[in-house]
Amino acid sequence: MTLSSFILKNALRNRRRLALSISSVAASLFLLITLQIALRELTNPISDEGSTLRIIVRNKVSLGQPLPARQRQVLEKIPGVAAVSPFTFYGGLYKGDEKFTSFAQFAVDPLRTRELLADARIPQEQYEAWVASQTSCILGRMTAERYGLKVGDRVQFTGQIYPCDLDLTIAGIYQGTADDRNLMFHQKYLDELLGNPGTVGTWWVRAASIAEAPLVTERINRAFANSSAEVRAESERAFVLGFVSMWANIKTLIGGISVVVVFALLLVTVSTMSMAIRERFRELAILKALGFRRRELFAFILAESFGLALAGALLGAGGAWVVFHQLDIQKLTNGLFVMFEVTPRMMGLAFSVAALLGVLAALGPMLTVVRTSVVEGLKTLD
Amino acid sequence: MALPLRYSFRNALVRWRSTSATVLGIALVVFVFVLLQSLAAGIERSSGNTGDPRNLLVVRKGSTAESASLIARQNFQDLRYLPEIARNPQGEPLMAADVLVLVNLPRRQGAGEANVLLRGVTPRGMELRPQVRLAAGRWFEPGHREVVVSAKLARRFEHFDIGQSFRSGSATLTVVGWLEGGGSAFDSECWLDADECRSLFERDMYSSFLIRPRDAAAGEQLMARIEADRRFKLKAEREVDYYRKQTMTAAPIKWLGNFLAVTMSIGAVFAAMNTMYAAVGSRTREIGTLRVLGFRRRSVVLALLLEGGFLALIGGALGCAVAFYWNGYTTATMGFETFSEIVFEFRITPRLVAEGLLFAVMVGLAGTFLPALRAARLPVIAALKSL
Repeated sequence: MTLSSFILKNALRNRRRLALSISSVAASLFLLITLQIALRELTNPISDEGSTLRIIVRNKVSLGQPLPARQRQVLEKIPGVAAVSPFTFYGGLYKGDEKFTSFAQFAVDPLRTRELLADARIPQEQYEAWVASQTSCILGRMTAERYGLKVGDRVQFTGQIYPCDLDLTIAGIYQGTADDRNLMFHQKYLDELLGNPGTVGTWWVRAASIAEAPLVTERINRAFANSSAEVRAESERAFVLGFVSMWANIKTLIGGISVVVVFALLLVTVSTMSMAIRERFRELAILKALGFRRRELFAFILAESFGLALAGALLGAGGAWVVFHQLDIQKLTNGLFVMFEVTPRMMGLAFSVAALLGVLAALGPMLTVVRTSVVEGLKTLD
Repeated sequence: MALPLRYSFRNALVRWRSTSATVLGIALVVFVFVLLQSLAAGIERSSGNTGDPRNLLVVRKGSTAESASLIARQNFQDLRYLPEIARNPQGEPLMAADVLVLVNLPRRQGAGEANVLLRGVTPRGMELRPQVRLAAGRWFEPGHREVVVSAKLARRFEHFDIGQSFRSGSATLTVVGWLEGGGSAFDSECWLDADECRSLFERDMYSSFLIRPRDAAAGEQLMARIEADRRFKLKAEREVDYYRKQTMTAAPIKWLGNFLAVTMSIGAVFAAMNTMYAAVGSRTREIGTLRVLGFRRRSVVLALLLEGGFLALIGGALGCAVAFYWNGYTTATMGFETFSEIVFEFRITPRLVAEGLLFAVMVGLAGTFLPALRAARLPVIAALKSL
């Protein structure tokens, strides 16, 4: 009998307990990964090639405050600005949705959209049809699939922010952006419905080059300083991160819960390991009497505990990886989460936690082995 | 014949060293569950605690929140002299028009920025909201760029101390007082003079009307009248009903709490099973003896289930006790309806404690069931012979 088969035999001696322990480690690691993904998804904006060039200009007061439409001429003359479009969040309720609509509707200038949404792919004739008809819109592929919508369908929205309702025809379906969910329609249509108030929600600006983007942002901020509508221009990424910061303590909360989960995991594994060692106390004493060194006994204990933790990690983290690759998380969470991607870093975290667990769980039993003399060990009955 | 309760309890306690990990594990599950649910309860309580049952709140049809509602100024004149509206001794109708503006302001200690809800109010509007009182300083004066901020927000945002001023766009506002909303949604607002607010932020429209009808019947009548009149496109509902519905923010927190409780409890059930299997294993002879003495299988199962349930109950109580440390602690997040920072407290209600304990017991029972069955199935003779 080799050393490794001895360890394996020992580990498998109480199969039920082994299975239960591995499952509880696996369940906890699965949860740990899920939390990490959720945290990443909430705090890390998805981005594509175009988002490094895009700048969002909002009213300095807050997003809720509109901007005057006349700012467009000024913006277009700022050096380094390649394209400008209104970008007004309409925030309507889709007909058929009860309380909450999972995709956003933006009023834009269709002629500029191609430059701003450089990653979006849309058939030429669909794009032209959209430009030509003021009451038409284009829709992201994900939303179209979710609601079973196709070109030519009509979609209606009830205004929750603006005192008007929309009745739009889908002219095209686009895909290829980081978030193929949004609906885009003509700002002119919204203006007409509202009786031309001369305002837009925000401006969407494309910088001529990545190098120039930070400069352009600064120039825009300066151009409207001390005017009646001061603005805050920032990269799309910074803009999205601004939302994240509004979540306030949620990051701390999820981080804290992750710690609690890991701690609970530790408790379970530690108790199992000590249980496993306690019941073979006499054996360990015999091994000692036979001349096995302490460090060899340590190796037995450590290998068993380590193996248990790693098996749990394989099952839990591997399971998470498989599950989240298979599931359509967007459908499942009503559009709250889009990607739900398991990154190598998270897998690394799960396995390091497992490894640490394996070592920590072995410490207690090791200590007991050191403390007890052979005679004492032989005397125990339990 | 059933085994005495003491048998189960004492067994649970005598092995405290080996069961403590399981008990703690269950405590952590219950802790996370109760804590997250208490956040949701706090949000619900704060919105359920807002408004005067006699008042009606009018917003634009279709808008989900006061802050996203726009009402033409003409509508104020149209509604103001309706006969259903109560009047004060001076003969003025008890109706207030408010303007709500979101402003983006920096938090204290560089913790990012967040939106704060500014409410432009008139003296009438303040009269109709007796929940709000001054905690420190003085009220704003009409015609001055002064603001009274919520005392709870003041602890979270820069430049919110009395005497300080902050800039928003091109406007500078001076904080002259702190208000106290008595645990209502008003604790997440800052108040200033309505006309000043409209001119500072170039608001041509109102956001909402608050009306005190003559009596409940007149209120019903008025709601029906506003609903039916096509000129208005407005919606009137009781102020308390409006606020009671503003709990969308609580939904994902509740969801997260339930999700975590379920996933964590799976791990906890496995741990409990381990513990109870070990308990049964080390007591094989004892159980054999009990059977010989004439105790039925079901008595043995019941005694073990009681033992597991009792262990879990200790864990649950521990979890609740630790969570209770946060009871009443003030925290904040972004409200989904108002799109602004809402302040609320962790609220550990008796109901939540009961739910947490019940949940713990269920975990305990689920973990004990199979080990108990195994104990009951032990052949008596073999059990007696075992060491």
